[in-house]
Amino acid sequence: MTQAPLWDIFCKVVDNHGDIGVCWRLARQLAAEQPVRVRLWIDDLQALKTLWPAAELKDRQSLAGVDVCLWSAEFDADVRVADVVIEAFACHLPSTYIKSMAIKRDQGPAPQWFNLEYLSAETWVEGCHGLFSPHPLTGLKKAFFFPGFSFKTGGLIREKALLEVRDAFLKDPAIADQWLAQQGVHRQSGSLTISLFAYENPAIGSLLRAWQLSDFAIHCLVPEGRILTSINAALATQLKAGDQLQLGALQLLVLPFLHQDDYDRLLWSCDVNFVRGEDSFVRAHWAGKPMVWQIYPQDDDIHLVKLDAWLAQQTRISGPALSAAALTQAWNTQADCAAEWQQAITDQKRWQQQSLAWTKHLNLFDDLASQLVYFGQKSL
Amino acid sequence: MKTGQELRAGHVINIDGQPWLIQKAEISRSGRNTAVVKTKLKNLLNGSLTETPYKADDKFEDISLERKEVTYSYFADPVYVFVDTEYEQYELAADDLGDLLHYIEDGMEDICEAVFFDDRMISITPPNTVTREIVYSEPSVRGDTSGKVMKRARLSNGHEIQVSDFVNTGDKVVIDTRTGEYKSRAKD
Repeated sequence: MTQAPLWDIFCKVVDNHGDIGVCWRLARQLAAEQPVRVRLWIDDLQALKTLWPAAELKDRQSLAGVDVCLWSAEFDADVRVADVVIEAFACHLPSTYIKSMAIKRDQGPAPQWFNLEYLSAETWVEGCHGLFSPHPLTGLKKAFFFPGFSFKTGGLIREKALLEVRDAFLKDPAIADQWLAQQGVHRQSGSLTISLFAYENPAIGSLLRAWQLSDFAIHCLVPEGRILTSINAALATQLKAGDQLQLGALQLLVLPFLHQDDYDRLLWSCDVNFVRGEDSFVRAHWAGKPMVWQIYPQDDDIHLVKLDAWLAQQTRISGPALSAAALTQAWNTQADCAAEWQQAITDQKRWQQQSLAWTKHLNLFDDLASQLVYFGQKSL
Repeated sequence: MKTGQELRAGHVINIDGQPWLIQKAEISRSGRNTAVVKTKLKNLLNGSLTETPYKADDKFEDISLERKEVTYSYFADPVYVFVDTEYEQYELAADDLGDLLHYIEDGMEDICEAVFFDDRMISITPPNTVTREIVYSEPSVRGDTSGKVMKRARLSNGHEIQVSDFVNTGDKVVIDTRTGEYKSRAKD
């Protein structure tokens, strides 16, 4: 019997959990939904353990159907080359592995090689997506693959059953209420629930003040992370995972770093989601709830161009949501957000409708994993 | 070595042992301060063209190509023969002549720049301007002297260009080889 093709995903953890978050989801999805075997090479197992507590700090293990391997500095030259190789997020494959790929190519068939790039809504991405890049030393062809928000890109990570699972969770409000109660939130009619996952941002002070003075109760759930530093600075506190605080209308709860599946439940349960980077950002799209994105900051404020490109794409599909856009821009420029928050939340119903329209649009095209598989089959 | 972000139009890089001329290089910023360089490349051995992205930190071996001045000597079907200042002969097929083919004629004295890879002539570039005789053109009927009205005219090798209406058969004209456009009537 022929063995299913082997896929290797190489991931270097740069900082935070975006790179490993995306790679781990992709690996799990490929293993669960495609007739392939998946091996994930990762240089920081602790980062994976934070996302997936069942992970152990050992060189090789099987997790959720994925063969997880430590990518050490001394890469074993005898590792068998996979049929499909993904180098994720600007990492570079070990030189010994590339040599083995060239040998495999010479013996035929050549391994398929993808460079999986960062997510961007900019139009230049469409002009590069799917183009082949011959490796300077070996001539091995590598396809540049860009996740994105249009038919001309590789789409977004979305498990086959994700939206059905989400809908089942949301069908009966008691389910979300129960899940939130487990986190310490007992929401009442007319209250607002917010998830807050972000990098450090001094603008949080203006939001916390606005939420304290709100006319309705606000529950803000903060998964442990970098924004906690800014919260503690703004409130002169030393909050940590498990702590909670009541400040006027605001109930602030600090959650431990959440398992990926639980993070989805958090996004589904909340009325507004503050997300950051790439992984939580993509998941917030599938939640179909109003979101405020904090993009990864880059030199020369290039991230603001990327932010505007995303806002423009969203506006083209779901109509102008100027108040939400203004809030997102203020949040990303670390400006006082109180007025923008007030405007956005006053228009919450419309914001919610537009979020659903955007989600519906994104659901029209194939997910990233399926597109990778399809692209590989097509280019053979 | 060059990195992807250092690539510029006009550079020649080695990809899998072959020389590729960079015709265009556009850099776009990706995530986390990385970048993607989209290039238009021409293979200097077989002339094939491709659009290819690279990462900004991909590394390339630079190729320094030898260049020599040569002049056209004669046509030895199917190749064109050129000589350098030391009367060494080099051959190039019509497909590799590029735009120079439009201006090739017996007895031409234009000094061209030849590019060599592995001691083999792989391309040739004519001077920026060449002077050629018009062997046929319809006579001017409008009496235009401004030079704005254009008409077709034929060179001795059969190549046709647009010239000013006042240019006549037997005139010599200056042609910009980079654009293929007529520049002026040559002064005697």
